[in-house]
Parts: sequence; C-alpha cells; structure tokens
Amino acid sequence: MHFSKPMRLSWYGGLLLAQLFMASVGSVDAAGVKPSGDDLAELLFVKKVQPLFVEKCGGCHGERAKPIKGSYDMRSRATLLAGGESEEVAVVAGQPDQSPLLAAVQWINGMEMPPKENDRLTHVQIQWIRQWIAAGAPWPTADRRKQLSQQSWPETGTAGQIVKTSGGQSEQWTHRLYLDEHLWAYRSLGKPTIPTEFAAATGNGVDVFVNRKLSAAKLDSAPRADKRTLIRRATFDLTGLPPTAEEIQNFLADESPTAFAKLIDRLLESDRYGEQWGRHWLDVVRYADSAGFSNDYARPNAWRYRDYVIRAFNADKPYDQFIREQVAGDELAGDNPEHLIATGFLRMGPWEHTGMSVAAVTRQQYLDDITNIVGVTYLGQELRCAKCHDHKFDPIPTLDYYRMQAVFSPLQFADRDAAYLAVENTSAFATEKARLERLRKVDGVRGLDTVPHDQWPVDTFDADSETKGHDKVNKKREECLDRERKRYQPLALSVYSGPSRKFTSKQSIVKMPNRKQRKGKVAPIHLLLGGSIETPGVEVAPGVLSLIAGLQTELVSTSNEPVNTVEITKQTQGRRLDLANWLASPKNPLTARVMVNRIWQYHFGCAIAGNPNNFGQTGQKPSHPELLDFLARAFISSGWSIKKMHRVMMLSEVYQRSSRHPQAEQVSAVDPDNRLLTHFSPRRMTAEELRDTMLFVSQELNLEMGGLPARPMINLEAAMQPRHIMGSVGPAYQAMPTPAQRNRRTVYTQRTRTMRDPMMEVFNQPDLDLSCERRDSSTISPQVFTLFNGQNTHDRALAMADWLRQKYADVESRIDSAIELAYGRPATIAERVPCLSHYLKIVEHHRGHPPERTDLPEYVIREMVEEMTGLHFYWVEDLDVYRDYVPDLKPWDVSAETRALADICLVLLNSNEFIYVY
Amino acid sequence: MSIEHATRRSFLYGLGASLGAVAFSDLLAKEQVSPPASPIESSTTQIGHHVSKAKACIFLYMAGGPSHIDTFDPKPKLDQLHMQKFVRKDKFASAMASGQRYFVKSPFKFQRAGQSGIEMCEHWKHLADMADDLCVYRGCVAESINHPTANYHMNTGNRFGGDPAFGAWVNYGLGSENDNLPGFVVMPEVAHPQGGAANWSNGFLPPSLQGTALRAKGSPILNLNPPRGVTPKHQRHNLDLLSDLNRHHAEQHPNHDQLAARMQSYELAFRMQTEVPDLLDLAQEDARTQRLYGLDEEPTAKFGRNCLLARRLVEKGVRFVQLYAAGWDSHDYIERAHAQRLRSVDKPIAGLITDLKQRGLLESTLIVWTGEFGRSPDNGQRGGGQRMGRDHNAKGMAMFLAGGGVNAGHAIGATDELGEKAVEVVHPIKDLHVTLLHLMGLDDNKLTYFHGGRFKQLSQIGGVLIPELIA
Repeated sequence: MHFSKPMRLSWYGGLLLAQLFMASVGSVDAAGVKPSGDDLAELLFVKKVQPLFVEKCGGCHGERAKPIKGSYDMRSRATLLAGGESEEVAVVAGQPDQSPLLAAVQWINGMEMPPKENDRLTHVQIQWIRQWIAAGAPWPTADRRKQLSQQSWPETGTAGQIVKTSGGQSEQWTHRLYLDEHLWAYRSLGKPTIPTEFAAATGNGVDVFVNRKLSAAKLDSAPRADKRTLIRRATFDLTGLPPTAEEIQNFLADESPTAFAKLIDRLLESDRYGEQWGRHWLDVVRYADSAGFSNDYARPNAWRYRDYVIRAFNADKPYDQFIREQVAGDELAGDNPEHLIATGFLRMGPWEHTGMSVAAVTRQQYLDDITNIVGVTYLGQELRCAKCHDHKFDPIPTLDYYRMQAVFSPLQFADRDAAYLAVENTSAFATEKARLERLRKVDGVRGLDTVPHDQWPVDTFDADSETKGHDKVNKKREECLDRERKRYQPLALSVYSGPSRKFTSKQSIVKMPNRKQRKGKVAPIHLLLGGSIETPGVEVAPGVLSLIAGLQTELVSTSNEPVNTVEITKQTQGRRLDLANWLASPKNPLTARVMVNRIWQYHFGCAIAGNPNNFGQTGQKPSHPELLDFLARAFISSGWSIKKMHRVMMLSEVYQRSSRHPQAEQVSAVDPDNRLLTHFSPRRMTAEELRDTMLFVSQELNLEMGGLPARPMINLEAAMQPRHIMGSVGPAYQAMPTPAQRNRRTVYTQRTRTMRDPMMEVFNQPDLDLSCERRDSSTISPQVFTLFNGQNTHDRALAMADWLRQKYADVESRIDSAIELAYGRPATIAERVPCLSHYLKIVEHHRGHPPERTDLPEYVIREMVEEMTGLHFYWVEDLDVYRDYVPDLKPWDVSAETRALADICLVLLNSNEFIYVY
Repeated sequence: MSIEHATRRSFLYGLGASLGAVAFSDLLAKEQVSPPASPIESSTTQIGHHVSKAKACIFLYMAGGPSHIDTFDPKPKLDQLHMQKFVRKDKFASAMASGQRYFVKSPFKFQRAGQSGIEMCEHWKHLADMADDLCVYRGCVAESINHPTANYHMNTGNRFGGDPAFGAWVNYGLGSENDNLPGFVVMPEVAHPQGGAANWSNGFLPPSLQGTALRAKGSPILNLNPPRGVTPKHQRHNLDLLSDLNRHHAEQHPNHDQLAARMQSYELAFRMQTEVPDLLDLAQEDARTQRLYGLDEEPTAKFGRNCLLARRLVEKGVRFVQLYAAGWDSHDYIERAHAQRLRSVDKPIAGLITDLKQRGLLESTLIVWTGEFGRSPDNGQRGGGQRMGRDHNAKGMAMFLAGGGVNAGHAIGATDELGEKAVEVVHPIKDLHVTLLHLMGLDDNKLTYFHGGRFKQLSQIGGVLIPELIA
C-alpha cells in the first residue's frame, strides 16, 4: 500500500504512534513479521479511527444514517476524502491541518462535529485522526481490516489494549482498545511498597502515600489541629454528634501520646457510631419506608433492614459477610431471621405494580433496578449503561448486563416470617397498635357538615360528588390502615427464589408460597435488543462481569482461550449466593477498593477515586492509587473490618491536620480542591447531624435505638400537604404524641418517598430514589427560611434556653454556657459582649410583646376533584394524634427572660461556627 | 465536580450570579478552576445557545390525561361505532386496557375556530377566540400508561423519576433574571399530583434549580415568615447579632469562603420575606384584569388566580412557571367530568393569552398546555356497567403551544380515524422536549450535566426537532 506521503516518526506531535512504533521494534507479530510504520497506520485506522467514525459519525454519515446527512458519506475512503454538499475536500491525505474534517472534530472554523456536546471527541481521539491523516489516511481492504482487527497494539500500556470479555454486540466493540489508565479498577490489587524515605513518624501507611505526593508537589502540610478541634471533628465523624463538655475536658486532660487513639476506640464502641455510619450506607442503598410512585404505600417492615444495617456497623460485621447477607441472606445456611431482614436491600428501590401498570414492564423495571444497584453499591459501577448497548466507555458488554440480570431472574418478593430478635425495638408497638384499632372504629371520612360552616372552603357542594368521592377515599383509608396494622407481625421485607408469581402492590402482605409453588421453571432472561422488552434477543445464562469473572490478574487478551470464569448455578436456588460469593471474594478487584474508598470519603470529604459509585472510565481517577490499593489490602487482611479501617485512617497525621493552612493562598493555587490533603477540609453538618445536634444541645435528644419509624414534628404545612394517590390523597403526616417519641435521632425517623421532611430536603438529604455517593452541601436561601424561621429551630432554642435558665442563676453564665454548648469551647469576650447587649435589648421587646398561644389543628379539610363528575368534593380528615398531644415547650409557657435567652440560642443555632465542622 | 464548583452553581436563587449553564458549561464540563474568560453577553436577543423569542415558559399541566378526542381531535368515526364491543389482545396492555371493551363517541360538538379553522370542542368557549394563537399538536406519543410514570416522563424525560424537571433544565441553561426569586416556580393544586414533588425536582442538578412550590393555601413558600409574634424589627436584631458572631468567626477562618456565602444568604432571605408576599398580592390587579382571568366566578376562580400569578411571576423575571389543573382522569362519565374541567380552565387560559398579548409579553413567553397522555377511543366494562368514559392512551394525545416562536394557527399531526394512535408527524416526548428547549433558545444536545458516569440531558439520549411546531 502506498501513501501520498511516507511515514515519519516525527509527525505533528504524534507522540502516540511514535511511541508505538518504537515500542514495536524488535517485537514480532503473529505472522512472524515485524510490523512496519505502514502497518501501524493501518492498525490505527482499524483499531481506533474507523470505530470512532462508526460510533461518533455513523448516525448521520454512515451505516445508521437514513438518509446520509449533508451528502457526506464516511463509509469509504473516496467519499470520506471527497467531502459532502459543501463541495469542499474533507481530508487532504497527509495534510491534517488542511483537512476540514480535522477542524470540524476540533470544533474550530465554524464546523462543530459531532454536534452533540456529549459526543465531542477527546484530545486523544482527535490525535488519532490527525495521525491517521498525516500517515496518508490509509484504508486497508476488508480482508486486511479483519486480519488487523484480531491484533493488539504492539505494546501494552501506551495506546490501548483489547480486554477479555464475554463479547460485545459487534466485533468492533469486542476488539476495541482500552487505555491502560482506564482499566485500573479491574486489575488485581497492587502490592504497594512503603517507600522508607516518606515513612512518617506515625508509622502510618496513609501518611506515607499522602506525604510523598505532597513532597512531589512541593507543598507543606498544615500543622496538627488543636485538641478541641480534633475531638469535635472525630466525634462528629464517627457519631454524628458533638462531644459533651465532660468528654472534651477528659480528652484535653489526657496528655498521653495515645489520647487520640483512645478517643477513637471509645467512639467506635459507642452505639452512636452505627447510627452515623449506617446512615451513610442507607444513602447508597436508598433506604425508605415507602414504595414510591402512585400510592407510595408504606413498607411496614423496612425499618428492620435499617436497624440491621446499624447493628452490622456497631458489631463491625465483616464486610464480606455483610455483602452475602444482603444479596443472598435467604440462601445462606441456617434459619437466621437476621439474614432474611438483610435481604431488605434487594427491595429498597422504588417499585409498584397496580392495575394500571403492565406486569412485564414493572418486572423488567425491577430487574433493571436491582442489576444496576448491585453494580453501583458493591462494584462502583453503573451497569445500567450497558442495558441498551455495549457500554460506551467501560469493558462491560450488554451480554454481561443480562448475565447479571439472570442471577435475579428467580428472585420473587415475599414478606417472610422472621421472628423479632431480642435486640429489635418493639416498644412502640402497643401504643401505635392501639391507635390503629381506634382509627378503624371511627368514621375517618366526615363531610363538611360536621365542622362549623365558617370553615367551609366553599358555600355549597355537590351531593353526588360527595357520596362518590367519600366512598373512594374511605376505601383507600381502610387499605392504608390495614397495611399499617400488619406491620406488627414478625415479617421481613424479603425475597425467595422460585418461578414467577403475580405480585401487586395492592396486597398489604404477600407471604411466601408453599414449597410446591416455589418449584418450577424460572423465567428466562433474554438479552433485550435496544433494551426493549418488545424485542427479546438470545436467552442468557446467569453470570458475572466477564472482565473480572475469573478474578484474574491479566485482563488483557493474549490468547483465544476462554476466560476461566466464576460459575453461577443455573438452578433456581443459589444464583444470588454464587454472585454474593464472587462479590465478597478477596480476589474481586472492585469490592474492597470501592468500600475503602467510600470510608475514606466520609472521613476526608473527598474520595480517593472521586466518584465512589463510578470506578469506570468516566469516574474520577484515584488521586492516590497506591494508597487505595494499600487500604484495600489492609481491609481484606483485617478480615474486612470497617472499624480497623477507621483506625488506620483517623490515626494518620493526615486526618489530624488543621483546616487552616499557613500558606493557604499558595496551596489553593496549586491544589484548589485539596485533593493532595495538605489540610483538613471543613464540612457543613449533614441534615441529620444538624437536627440531631440541635436536639443534643437543647438537652432533648432521646437516644433510644431502632424500632418503628419515629415521626418528629415537621413543618406543619408540609405535613398537611395533600398528595394524590390512586383514588384519594395520602393521609396527613402527624407527629408522635410525646416529646421523647419525637426527639429521636434522625436516622430513625420516617422516610416516605413523596412526603419528605422539608428541613432534610433543603439541607441536602439525598433523593430517596437515587443512590447517593456523596452529599452536596449547598448554600441556598430556603435553608435560611427553615433554620431561622422554622418552628423546629425556635422550639429547640427555647428548650435550650429553659434548660440554661434552670441550671444557671445569672444571665452571664447562661450566655457563656449557651456559647460553650453550641461551639464546644468557652465563650470569648468578643462574643459575650454583643450577646449580652442583644439580650438586654430584646428582653425589653419580649416584656412588651407577650406571645399569643396557638394550638395544633385537630382536623384538616381535604378536597379533590371527583373524576366521575368533574366537580370538587370535600371531606374532613381527623388529626387524631393532636387531640392528645404533649407539645414542646412554647413561648407562652416561659418568661420574657427565657424568651430573650432563646433568641440568643436561635442565633447560635444559625451561626456558622455551629454548623461547620473543622 | 468539586465542591467549590457545585457551590458556585448553587448561588443562583440568588446570591448574585445569574448566568446560566450556557456560560458555565465549560466550567462545569471541563472542571476548570478559573471562571470563564468572557462571560456571556446578556443581550436581549440571545441568552441561550441560539436566538429565540421565548425567554420564559408557562407550562399548563393538565394532570390525569385530558382526552384528545374530546378537546382538539374530533373522531366522527366513533359516532358510528358507539357502544360496539370488541376485545383487545395486547401482551403489553395493563389490566385496565384489556378484556371486554366498547367504543365511546365524544359527547361534545366540535367547531372550527378562528381563521385557521382549528378544531376545538364546544367547551373551549373563550379559547376558541384565541385559536389563531395556538399551535395544536396531535402527533405526540407518550410511553407509559400509568400516571406517575407518565408524569415523570413528561416533566423530567425519565419515566422512573429522579431526573431534573424541564423547568430545572431551562433555569440551568438560561439562569435567572431575578436573583431574589426562584427561577422555577410550580403552582400545584392544593393536592400534589401523582408522583409528588419529584415532578419538579432538580434531580442531579444543583438544588437551587428545584421547582419552588408556591402553595395555594397558607405560606406561599414554606417558612417564608418567622413564627407568629416575631416582628421584622425583632428579627432584624437577631440577624444583626448573627452577623456579629459570624464576622468574628470568619476572622478565625479567612480562607473558608463558604462562610461569606452563608452570611449573604441570610440577608437575601430577609429581603425575600417582603418581596414575595408583595408579588403574590393579586389585589394590586385591577378589576378588569381579574375578570379577564375569571377570578370573580366559579369554576374559574382557582385556576384563574394561578394564571394571573403566573403572568406576574414572568413579568418579574421568573423563568419557568408550571401550573397544575388536576382531575382529567375521566374513566367514567366523561361528559360531565371533562365539561367541568374544560370550563374551569378555558377562561383563565384565554385570559392569560390575552393579557400577555396586551402587555407585549406573549412573544417572549412560551405557553404549553398538555397532560401526561391522551385517552382511549373505548372503555372497559367495569363493575358490570358501561359508563361513558375513556381509559389511558399513551399512543395518542393532544396538546397546544402558544407564544414565542411557535407555529401559531395550525393543527399539526393527526391520530388515526379512531384516535387510537398518532399517525402523522409522530414524535416521542423526547422530541417534544428537544423542541420546547429549542423554542427557549436551548440546544438539548448541549444542555448537559455530568452525572452517574455520563453527560445527561433532558431528552435522555437525544431527540430531533419537530419543525412543524416552530414558526
């Protein structure tokens, strides 16, 4: 083959090919012939350039175009060079800079191709095209292309390599090349050695790897934080609460070198630890107490899964076991109710099936959801990307997606018998049960005529609409009560393996069928062409991600031997257990990395690999890859102990650095996101920490653990907000009747997908439908409305003020203590003075303005459009709890002095020092 | 994206920055550290990717699925087939749509309205006068036949929820013109629609882009005002103490830039407390205007009030206002139910178009009227009875656009002779989204946000323009 221009090594910045060329010298290809420069340019075309044309341009200028856009056909060399309707030559072979095609893919000179922002070529891809044009735009024959497509690049580690998978939907995908840097997550864990010159005084591996990078960047680290900062940081980190004054004093008094280590040990032993770290896990798995969509029905026993997670963290359950229980608890040996509860994981996503939905659609929706969430949670890999086509970036063929899906094909939903464990909190059962019995006996849907006329929203109403409407609403109410009532049975939100069964959301309990009904043929899983259930392709056997199915060290295809893979049984039983064992294998390159990366992020604010749910090509690459592997190895060799990981990370010098850096300007110029960890990044409290801490400083927090979801008081208007469900509106949210019941830790509060606590929402508690890899901490004005105006903060401030009033005799001590409670340090003069003068001013105001008493409503008037008549109808919904309710302390219960002190407390709870952790 | 960048975006809704994603896109996509070298020109003609007339959108959402057959798409054939029975066999039909069925004719008469002769049912009494301002579209197809998933699809592009709503994308793209108000305001009926607030979610976009639900009753924005008994002066004093403490704290942490942002947000919120109620005070409108929207009578007062508020919000620079009118799910007795629904929205919508026109705002406002899907030409036997209603239909529906840049005075697309499925100018919802974004000056393919491993967009995977809808 001859080109208009001979190949040279010194192409336009053609580093890539030049490297390849040099690397290939001396190597011998399969035919025993040394590849020449010509071969390399052809290889570049076959392996890189043509697939790029097909993928990025083919939709308009190639196979998939109907018709060809702009008369520009990129399917042959002649037409590709000739150009389209502009009648301008598109490619001048050998002259990349005179080729309009190259300008177009660079989005310069007016032409922007491909036109989608999403599809823009990367710098590397543009270089391929440039080099290919420079080499004379070779276009080998079809036979030659086929021959070349079997070849790999002559040298790995430079431009890309073929990897071994179960194979894509096209040859091109199967043989496509991956840059080495994009495969890091799938390779076996490295064995990083600790370079002695960076070994820190702490002897901690974390310090070694972090300090080495700092040294390379010529940056100094911040000094160690002071002890007050450290105890506050560590206590919030491990428990989600501030330290008490006594704990601070003890820590300050302990001058031994092991003081911090002792502190960490104490915190890890606290039950508060599991509540805080369990909550992180619940973010990832999307824990909620309801099902979402039309009815958003309660999932009465979801709380048992929540408590299982908290217990697992407190007990330091080995992570591999934690995985097995959640993915396949029902298939594990022994009849342990705990294992059935753990499988609640498999049912955490939003899902419903009603008479208006199509069974095949909702089943597929579930299968897609569980396939993806297993990938996201344990493998840091969004698998959904491979549902409709082979993964665009990562070595995950569509076939693998459906292989994984086939693992879940026998999975059926069931509310399974699981006796209450001694540790499970059933204390609220009696009162809640009694309430439901009461509700069942009363007429819950009253007409407007049962309330005073002046409260009617209208003067008249349509009697027919009322009758029809009330019927439907009543029916729905009974359905909901029935569901609530059944939460007290010892059932676990769980699954079993068996043939397909009908399952509708309407049934409040679906028990496991008998043994006979659990036998039978499992529904086959087909590869769905284009992801559509209407176009099933080949039937697929269960399997795992083929790239790492063999847990091999070598990802790269060096021979045609089949991959020695982990087998997933084809039997009905045991598919998930096989999957779980593969996930939990120490040889699985992703599992340990993904988990230590998550742990790291919660400690440091930023993960080592920046997207804990995405270890693929589009996720951020690890800032400290060796550190990640070092930690992953340590994790596995510790017996998958999460608590040991906390110790390793927190006892590092890195963790204990001050958030103030002496050369802050210089550091932020070099490393604005603090990925090199010169200092500790301050963080805003999460929504839950904020609420819990307010209750903590107001001395109201009830540390009772577990049990039925607690219902704290939330914004009253949001609580009354009607939400459409099928045929009715959802019941009003009513807070629990006593302060102790309401003032539980936030992790125990009810999470209803369509009825969220607005305070949680504005402070970035994530959406309950999506897995959250990291929380945002935005600053928006609705937060101010919530925190400065909201009743909750006012109530907490008043309780705090009243406690201070009882404890201290004079206003100065009360103010000093308020500051110390809020900030965990003594007040300064600069704070005491303005607080005191504010107090004196505001107390006068309060003396002149006695508060007006307001009571909670005892009912709410509902309205809806009756669909049969098109007219509105109305009913009265009783707020039964508020008839017998113990309110929080209110302004009319206390003196003007306490109210003035409460203003100071309110300001403190809103202040920056309170809400940031340093 | 780094925390710092996320925060910079979240300042919209109001801490000064009012640039849209178009200006910020490079910053976001490429994670550059420095702000863009030349901020986008905020000329009056182009604020998005291309020049467009519409700068704001009022989205009239008819929850429940209004029947195309009884509003904009007459089917005389059904008069002949009325009450004839048949059985539908479709493996992908829900329980609702299968079994023994019968055809149902429309109970309504149709008229050809305006010079354009657009077909409209008899209950569009006022809107018929506006026919030449409407672009009726009868070719759209939804995918889901269940309310929440169909709502999510129409509002967010994703049937299963969790993604940003159209209004969030528009604000993300165009930014805010009023830093003291949210750019995306939603006026639900008193009850939230099926699927709830996820219908106006910011999804994975910054939280400042979430639709702010203006509540029909009570406090328009949650906690806009302090508890009873706290006066503005009292609050100002508290705020002053807060600034004092925060200033003192900031001195200890000079490099923590979040602190200043948080302090500013308190001042902004304090200002909003007076501005928002003023904006919502309809007593400032004269009686003629109030009558125009039907505020003085039933059954139009409620929706009329929301339509008038929408105009006031758009005037103040709110980018996207979505109004809900529920109750269109007429499985039974469609004659009564749909007639009543039509009467309640007809005059307010006509009033809104007239008013916007009078004020010269119609050209710069895009109006969209649609539900989540259409309705079937037939009904199922339920409870042993035959009731004149219609079930859900994802394959045929009707909607209309009006205002900036739309191909007014035309009815585009058609369903088959039964109204069962779209057969002309057929496009899925993603194409509608692409087209609506285009009318707002935005290019769906460029309005992207990196999340979950890829650049995401409203249409999910890209769509095509529906040129017939564009003037």
